[in-house]
Amino acid sequence: MPDYGWLEQEKLPHALPLAAPSYPPPPWPLPGARFLRVTFETEREALLRWLPPSLMRPVPPYAQILVAHYPESPVGPFSLAVQSLGARARLLVRSYSFEAVTDSQQALLALREQWGFPCRLGEVELRAAQGEAEARIRVAGRTVAAIALREGRVIEPEPPPYVAMAQIDPAYTIHEAWRGRAEVSYPEPSEGAPWHLVPFRGPIIAVHAVADTELPYARFIVPFQT
Amino acid sequence: MKFGIFFELSTPKPWRPDSEYQVYMNALEQAQLADELGFDQIWAVEHHFLEEYSHCSAPEVFLTAVAMRTKRARIGHGVVLCLPPFNHPIRIAERAAALDIVSGGRLEFGTGRSATWTELGGFGVDPDMTKEMWDECVRVIPKMWTQEAFGYQGKFLSMPPRNVIPKPYQKPHPPMWVAVTSPETAIQAAERGLGLLGVSVGTPREYEERVNEYRRRIRECEPVGEFVNEQVNGVTFMYVDESEEEARYWGSQLVRAFAALAAQFPAVSAIYPTPLYKVPGLLFGLRREQEKAQERAEATAAGTPGQGARSGPIREGMAIGDPETVIKQMKLWEALGMDRMVFLLNMGEAIPQEKVLKSLRLFAEHVMPKFDREAPAAKASAKPAAGAQKSTP
Repeated sequence: MPDYGWLEQEKLPHALPLAAPSYPPPPWPLPGARFLRVTFETEREALLRWLPPSLMRPVPPYAQILVAHYPESPVGPFSLAVQSLGARARLLVRSYSFEAVTDSQQALLALREQWGFPCRLGEVELRAAQGEAEARIRVAGRTVAAIALREGRVIEPEPPPYVAMAQIDPAYTIHEAWRGRAEVSYPEPSEGAPWHLVPFRGPIIAVHAVADTELPYARFIVPFQT
Repeated sequence: MKFGIFFELSTPKPWRPDSEYQVYMNALEQAQLADELGFDQIWAVEHHFLEEYSHCSAPEVFLTAVAMRTKRARIGHGVVLCLPPFNHPIRIAERAAALDIVSGGRLEFGTGRSATWTELGGFGVDPDMTKEMWDECVRVIPKMWTQEAFGYQGKFLSMPPRNVIPKPYQKPHPPMWVAVTSPETAIQAAERGLGLLGVSVGTPREYEERVNEYRRRIRECEPVGEFVNEQVNGVTFMYVDESEEEARYWGSQLVRAFAALAAQFPAVSAIYPTPLYKVPGLLFGLRREQEKAQERAEATAAGTPGQGARSGPIREGMAIGDPETVIKQMKLWEALGMDRMVFLLNMGEAIPQEKVLKSLRLFAEHVMPKFDREAPAAKASAKPAAGAQKSTP
């Protein structure tokens, strides 16, 4: 009879990712989060170039930039900026994350590995006051994107589809929300963080909201190629 | 209960130089046959920029051709997008009146306000304004039709007194309708004395409450026109074949083509936060139903029984099946008190033309005779609103 090892699962060496991941598992409660999201029309070719074959473009082609600041999370406060492409998966309205930046090394791995955000480390700044909101996203010292909400006005804090991150489908409890004109610019285009490859071709809407939310398990996954 | 058809003029890719021509010609042939077979309404939608899904951006032109090829069926112009940046209200009144004249007084006038960002964004319309724009339009258009000197100072339309001509052939004017996709709109239709140009999103059972509320509210309405048009139309898909299996195959093609083509367009409610678009509209409502149907089909395939007797993309209430099946499905709507069911016959040319024509013939031969197409709907109110007359189209 050969000799088998004695190790029990709960005593796995702590460095093994399976036994001791470097980040807490979902769901992550994220109370008091602040969001600025702009939705804008872009170019058909830009969408088709960057969408995988299993997704199709909407008509007209549109994209979104979401900037969020989470004052509390299992890894401490962090900010996240996501540029996503409007898409359809079979019959479902979805968005495909194209670029993402976070300012937290601890959040970075989880956002990449647990939720699939194409995250890189950078700076994310979000300011909001009196019906106006602005955000700037910096990578390696370059401002790769800047967004703003202008002439905002208060809207009903009801369950909104308009701040959801589409692949993740988190739940939201909205405390306050404004809506206004969207502005998008790419002041310092960067090949390393190419947010500018999704051109701004006209505003749809900007929304600012304060909400309690969470990052649950990603529940919508499609193959890269159909 | 009566039966009608409606057209989206869906034109699938790949587009050839004559793709749109062929779709239009097929539709005209269907319309002509439907008229001969006894379908009593032929509607055409108004959509803009919804490529593949609907190439029906000038329905008044298409419907004029329909009117010239038909004798009895009423001509459903709708819904006309009653938003001044899309259609100036004077032009709406003029075109509709001319269509009523050339059709010999067969016009049914449907109104609506669009539910896609594709369309509203294309015309630069603020989604927050659409309800007010629509409301102003539906109030002024019947006055343009009936007054010799109509002048108006409003939010979206101002004009000195003018005689808007021609006047409709029907007096005082054609019956007016509104597209209803939510309980709120059903109530607004009733309050204005407009016909409920409804949708069969959901099963007949799910739709019952909306119809009952409409019937109840319209009894106390203040009609925007000269009379109350108390009628309820539902819409659904239709494909009839002698063989249930064949019908289900082609019917599924139709439903799936609709869902796939509609999926391309962002609903206002999905990307633009406004209380005026809490529900996504017909196009998206029907698509959502197909998403649910897909889930049911997958559940069935996995060994879990689907909801109701029907499965896959085919839902309860759809006119898809052999004649006996379709009769049963239509009886569900009749019991609900619908005045009429209006059918989408094809989408993305998913069904060959000869099969669409055969389906129409089978429906007329086997299904229509099982329904009393003269009697008022079972639950319809017979009482006209105070000070107004009930329409008798």
